[in-house]
Amino acid sequence: MPLLEVDQLSIGYDTSDGYLSAVSDVSFSLEKGKSLGFVGESGCGKTTIGMALMGLLPPNGSVRSGRILFKEENLLGKSDEAMRQIRWNEIAMIFQAAMNALNPVHRVGDQIAEAILAHRPGVSKDEARHQVKALFEMVGIPKNRMKDYPHQYSGGMKQRAIIAMAMALRPKLIIADEPTTALDVIVQDQILQEAKRLQETLDISMIYISHDISVVAETCHDIGVLYGGQLVEYGSRESVLESPFHPYTKMLLSSFLTVSTKRADVVIVPGDTPNLINPLPGCRFCERCSYYEASCKLKALQYVTISPTHKVLCSRCG
Amino acid sequence: MDIWHFTVRRLIQIIIIFFVIFTVLFLLFRLAPGDPISRIIDPDMTPEDATRLMAQMGLDKPLWMQYLYYLKNVLSGNFGHSFYYGKPVIEIISDRLPNTVLLFTTSVILSAIVGVFLGKIASWNKGKRTDTFMTMGALVTHTLFLPWMALILIWIFSYKFSWFPINGMISEDVWLDPSSGVVRKGLDVLHHMILPLSTLFLIYFGSYLLLMRSSMLETLKEDYILTARAKGLKEKTIRNHHAAPNAALPVVTSVGLSLAFSINGGALTETVFTWPGIGRELVFSVSNNDYPLAQASFLLIAAVVLFSNLLVDILYAYLDPRIRY
Amino acid sequence: MDAQEKIIKKKRLKKPGRERRWKKNWAIYKKNILGRVGLALLSFFVLMALCSYIPPWIDPMYQPMSGVDPEISKSTGPSLRHWLGTDFMGRDLFSQLLAGARVAFMVGISSAFMSILLGTLVGMISGYMGKWVDTILMRLADIIMVMPTLLVVLILAALFGQLNIWSIVLIIALFRWPGVSRVIRAQTLSLRHRPFIESAKVSGASHMRIIFRHIMPNVLPLSFLYMTFRVTAAINIEAALAFLGFGDPGTVSWGMMLQWVWKTGHMFKAPYWLLPPGICISLITLSFYMLGRAMDEVLDPRLRKEGERY
Repeated sequence: MPLLEVDQLSIGYDTSDGYLSAVSDVSFSLEKGKSLGFVGESGCGKTTIGMALMGLLPPNGSVRSGRILFKEENLLGKSDEAMRQIRWNEIAMIFQAAMNALNPVHRVGDQIAEAILAHRPGVSKDEARHQVKALFEMVGIPKNRMKDYPHQYSGGMKQRAIIAMAMALRPKLIIADEPTTALDVIVQDQILQEAKRLQETLDISMIYISHDISVVAETCHDIGVLYGGQLVEYGSRESVLESPFHPYTKMLLSSFLTVSTKRADVVIVPGDTPNLINPLPGCRFCERCSYYEASCKLKALQYVTISPTHKVLCSRCG
Repeated sequence: MDIWHFTVRRLIQIIIIFFVIFTVLFLLFRLAPGDPISRIIDPDMTPEDATRLMAQMGLDKPLWMQYLYYLKNVLSGNFGHSFYYGKPVIEIISDRLPNTVLLFTTSVILSAIVGVFLGKIASWNKGKRTDTFMTMGALVTHTLFLPWMALILIWIFSYKFSWFPINGMISEDVWLDPSSGVVRKGLDVLHHMILPLSTLFLIYFGSYLLLMRSSMLETLKEDYILTARAKGLKEKTIRNHHAAPNAALPVVTSVGLSLAFSINGGALTETVFTWPGIGRELVFSVSNNDYPLAQASFLLIAAVVLFSNLLVDILYAYLDPRIRY
Repeated sequence: MDAQEKIIKKKRLKKPGRERRWKKNWAIYKKNILGRVGLALLSFFVLMALCSYIPPWIDPMYQPMSGVDPEISKSTGPSLRHWLGTDFMGRDLFSQLLAGARVAFMVGISSAFMSILLGTLVGMISGYMGKWVDTILMRLADIIMVMPTLLVVLILAALFGQLNIWSIVLIIALFRWPGVSRVIRAQTLSLRHRPFIESAKVSGASHMRIIFRHIMPNVLPLSFLYMTFRVTAAINIEAALAFLGFGDPGTVSWGMMLQWVWKTGHMFKAPYWLLPPGICISLITLSFYMLGRAMDEVLDPRLRKEGERY
């Protein structure tokens, strides 16, 4: 049994313009110690999936159907208090440092110690401080910076501190939402290597969420490509990167490869993200697709299994 | 920048602002239509006294010399001679200043603390009955006309129910009684202070409540609140430890900016309740054409406002590490 | 295409968009309970102000300042003849209350309008010119901001003697612009490097032209948002001044009615005289305040209920 199994998950938001289906029938699973990456443009539903796993959907958002099995228990049936206990203790999150993820008026060390104290009632303040010290060493921040405030940290250091915070309770699963966005390339690489190393030594499962396929390609065992709230391609890292089937994956990869190999023209994926208030019954990517056929728009989609570790949501791939 | 650097810098700015006000006020009193000497020398003075005062103020010298004389006099505590009271202005204002500071600081601190506290509760119950009740209540009390509010309170609580004295700050029988100790005297002042304080409190807490409420609602959308939730903290901890300290920052700024309004209200309250403060003295001296007293009262009120501004700034720096470090 | 045709075409293109925006804003405004109550209250006061022109036509006895009931020479309670009663010398309180509404609107709106214009102008110049102009203007704003306006007017009254209503309006306006100018300055700073300003500069437009033709249309809606709050401030300062006895003796304002009831010692025996003016000042302030908050929500999408998370 995998650590996390998500089954036919659909999530939507009530907005002033109507019901917005942000995530539609997404299924995936994650083994202990493995990592899974979600890629897609903003608005594709990747952050919504992360928030649903944490039980932190905004008030106007709700899970419409599906199951989230974590350690064989459905998280969707849990009470608020039970979910609060699971958060950080079992499932932690790494936020983007460029966001204001750290509270500006509290010392960084205290913010990490707070997570420990909230979930480990037996731990004294002194012990918590020692644990924070060890965490700082682990992620490579000098201990004397524990008493500093977030604004005194550089972007990379903030990101390390957030990673240290996520590791504080040795959770089973960490969700990293855009962990390196807005950091410069060298720091980005360091952070990713650091996270990968920690994940392997501590045997933590990770879910990476990014708009940048290179981040996911570098770190994850499995890759899921999201478009318009649907998981359009899902498979092992090798199969998705080496033999992509969905035209959207191909587009993402072509822009990624041109950037990384030669400084050729950057391929910009054209078009807008689809309207998710009243989505089409058929393929949501069809308006931007170069393989588009009239039937794509109308025919309800089925996953095409390419290999046991690779499936695609496209009627033209079968 | 540490907190000392910050304080010293603000102090210098405030001293400069004070000198600008000081200078403008001096020029206004010397250059306004009419005889400037008549605004300094009491018409009822004996000729000898008048000549002495003329020399003291340098009134026969050119304007810039007069300015220096005035500066020297003020720095040595000589604000001239009150027409109405017939004694040095410094004696009157130094007697009134503590009373104003007492009423002003208690009312500002009380309304800010209660406003912030209630605003926090309102924001947390957004859209519920508690919130509607508090928001509407704050809107209504905040927009009440202050002197009218004061009259109504006197009418109900002093006249109808006789719970509180109608005016003044002390009862003579208590203060003249040699047997009454500090506690009895203190309680007497408190008894007199309750209505003026309630007036100022009722008018001003509402604005802080409304501000704190909207500031909290903004803060709750911040990323670090999401972090706190993700950390599995209790809602109470999130509200009190993560949202409130950040949300209170703009409220502190607004307390600083609204000090000038509060002192306006303070002067009105003092006048209605005949609280022997400096604001009432200003109103009184203007009605009596007591120019030296009016000028000195205004200057002192400006100093009180500026100094409280400094205190608020220091409080802000203390609360916000981004300024402190 | 000649110039006239161009203008006509421009107008035709512009109008529907603007109308739609107004309609949309009005639709949002209508949903706001505060806004509706505020508007209703305000219409009531407008009606009062309009009615203030009526009493003298009926009978000179109802002249708010000089009209005296020949049969009454002291304060009396409400009667059919005097709906709210009379003041200490037999003047009709109801007519005074109506006249007070007129004064309140006049003081509030004209003073707010002037301070908004001044604040916008200073803010635009400060933000656009930058450098030392900005420093000087903003330091000036800082100083004026810490001045208690009511006490400033008092000091000026001491120096210049009795102030008439227009000088009071002017002084209030002169001391209430810094808040607006700060907001407008920030807005101007954000506009300063936008392409349309840069292109105007490159094409050789003068500073004046850029400020008035290109920046002003973009910041003016924001300035007027602040107007409602300036109105309430001006009304309150004038009322307080009149209450303290420094009002214009040629006008009847609500503050002055309160001064009379207070100074003539009627406050404990004449609730019919004490209550109405105070309620009116408070309610007109409340209605402008509600209006301002509702407009805030219309113009600032962040404050709208929808899309709000947590």
